[in-house]
Amino acid sequence: MAQASFPTREEVDFVVVGSGSAGGIVARELSMAGFSTVVLEQGPYLQPGDFTHDEWAVTQDEQLAWGPRKGHPQTFRRYEHEKAEISNRAVLGYAHNVGGSSAHFSGNFWRLRPVDFMERSLLGEIPGTNFTDWPITYEELEPYYTKVEWEIGMSGLAGPWDPPRSRDYPLPPLPVKSSGVLLERAAKKLGWTAYPEPHAILSKPFNGRPGCVNCGFCLGFGCEVGAKSSTAVAMMPQALASGNCELRTGCTVSRVDTDDNGRVTEVVYWEEDGTVQAQKAKAVVLCANGAETARLLFLSESSRHPDGLANASGMVGRNLMFNGSSSVAGLFEHPVNAYKSVPTTRVIHDFYSIDPSNGFYGGGGIDARHLSRGLPMSAALGTGRFSGARWGSQFKKDIAREFTHACSFNGHTTSLPLSSNNVTLDPDVKDKWGRPALRTTFMNHPDDFKTMKFFLDRSVELMEAAGATQISANYEMEGQTGGVHLLGTCRMGNDPATSVVNKYNRAHDVPNLFMVDGSSLVTSGRGQPTMTIMALAFRAADHMIQAAQRGDI
Amino acid sequence: MISQSLTRRAFLRAATENAQNSLLILSVPSLLLAGKQAQAAMATAQPFSTLGVEEAATLEAIASRIIPSDETPGAAEAGVIYFMDNILGGSRAEVLPEVRKGLAELYSASLGRFGTGTFYILSPEQQDSLLRDIERTPFFNTLRYLTIAGMFTMPSYGGNKNRIGWQLIGFEDRHVWQPPYGYYDADYMEKGA
Repeated sequence: MAQASFPTREEVDFVVVGSGSAGGIVARELSMAGFSTVVLEQGPYLQPGDFTHDEWAVTQDEQLAWGPRKGHPQTFRRYEHEKAEISNRAVLGYAHNVGGSSAHFSGNFWRLRPVDFMERSLLGEIPGTNFTDWPITYEELEPYYTKVEWEIGMSGLAGPWDPPRSRDYPLPPLPVKSSGVLLERAAKKLGWTAYPEPHAILSKPFNGRPGCVNCGFCLGFGCEVGAKSSTAVAMMPQALASGNCELRTGCTVSRVDTDDNGRVTEVVYWEEDGTVQAQKAKAVVLCANGAETARLLFLSESSRHPDGLANASGMVGRNLMFNGSSSVAGLFEHPVNAYKSVPTTRVIHDFYSIDPSNGFYGGGGIDARHLSRGLPMSAALGTGRFSGARWGSQFKKDIAREFTHACSFNGHTTSLPLSSNNVTLDPDVKDKWGRPALRTTFMNHPDDFKTMKFFLDRSVELMEAAGATQISANYEMEGQTGGVHLLGTCRMGNDPATSVVNKYNRAHDVPNLFMVDGSSLVTSGRGQPTMTIMALAFRAADHMIQAAQRGDI
Repeated sequence: MISQSLTRRAFLRAATENAQNSLLILSVPSLLLAGKQAQAAMATAQPFSTLGVEEAATLEAIASRIIPSDETPGAAEAGVIYFMDNILGGSRAEVLPEVRKGLAELYSASLGRFGTGTFYILSPEQQDSLLRDIERTPFFNTLRYLTIAGMFTMPSYGGNKNRIGWQLIGFEDRHVWQPPYGYYDADYMEKGA
């Protein structure tokens, strides 16, 4: 069936803003259930054949991930009393295309575990933070994790390291790399367990898509064969084939309008050439990501919603979490060739929750990766970590050695939710559409630092056990200055006074408005949030469909 | 006299070698004149579109100290200067004034220390001593960035000629790989965990 086409002045059932990890799923679920759905996406609909290995274009010229070079400046500051400065890069990074960041991620898919949903109850209050339990449990989300695995397409190995699961992975794990072997053998020496990284990348053909060819250009790049399970290849084709979904690309939403009853009525947007359009809808689903969804709510302020739409709690934009990280690079005697194949093939979760007797809150995982994404230019730009040489003959020797003989063990860790870490509208800087730029305020909680350091230390132990000849370790001890996991800014909760959406992702304050993306997360998880974003999207869509069918939208 | 058959690159090298071998260091105006002649003569031989000949010679000399040519080819052989010419006239045009300002400062520093502002005729040791003084400046960082980018870019941007940069580090731009990928996973396949 051909893609649907709806007049803007006639009310459709749903407008979905954003076609990424959440939006692609929500659009597919709603349209396949028979609801008329319009998807508004800022970027283009790139096909596998449009993607390249062009490192300059992708990593330096913002080909997929827009930033200041494309007319989208962002500002950053540490604390709320400071004036934010314009950054020379995207502080909050994400891809602008159908599939959103699922088009350029590397598909490391970790389920949350039962503990993630109830840590506040287990551990008690953490003063000065908004640390709290989720309004749902792991058991409620589990069927949707399984749905992600089978509907999106995942590769992995079920085992004792998993949280409870109702079904095996559809595909076996991707082949182990040298970096994974080094991690696995080191873990064994230390009494820990490295297991195959679960991927939203197909190890074999599945659902009409081909298996991975191990080209190595995953992180930041689009998949040239369509083996990476972005919603652009796994969901949107099915949504469009339903005959109920219209995808409008190159459309940037400026605001969501509400009526006197406080209900959402239409979504106003610019087409690529600047033409203003407005699409009427019975309900609106914002899936614009943890930065842009909050920004859009602020931009949709009105006399009825003076602090931004759906922001009676004052929580919109707050509790921004990135996940912490640590990185330990090691140089080895023999070729590792970490640039080939997917970034990571082994992961350790022995420290999923750090023992509270250490005196701080935190947890995470460690995986084995390439340095600088395994990209020639990026790797050379980062060279100097072992010998200190940044140019000259020694530098040249180092580049040649490191590219093939090094890998890193990376920690991926918790972030605590704080009111003072947030996304707001910059009062001075505007983007190319004249909208206030995204302003990020962020300083890690002391426990975030302790957690990153803890994982750095474990990774150094692993690197030593792996037999690295040289080791270089670092984490952001001055505090993170940006991120690509954009979490927590419209948190889910039962209490309208302290959360933005309810347990079904419906706005507490606006009955026909939903927010579904990283903004819903109550806590940060341990570092790979996209699978949870997708599971929440399947779950929210189920409830939207049920609500719409009983006339409750 | 410069042969009509010399390419611009050969000209620059010849000019540099001549100058270094000469008892009298060539004055800048004579080099510029030679450069203009070469430019006119070599209109078909990949002219620089953004950079002047003097600028190009200096930038190439700096790039050659960042990634030198020794047992293996360096930034010069990889044509990093053509990447710079392309990018500084295109997507990084906004950087060009900063680069030109830095070149002028380098000229002054060189003149003060070695009696000539012409950086590219200095010995490698003299060049390094000047660069060490500025290695933490935005100007040097920009040139380091452009040199590395030009060394490892896709060749279509002008640098990484004949994939010299990729060969240097052992990167093969293939679209399909099969395991084993490296030494340790080959060993794992044979011996297990």
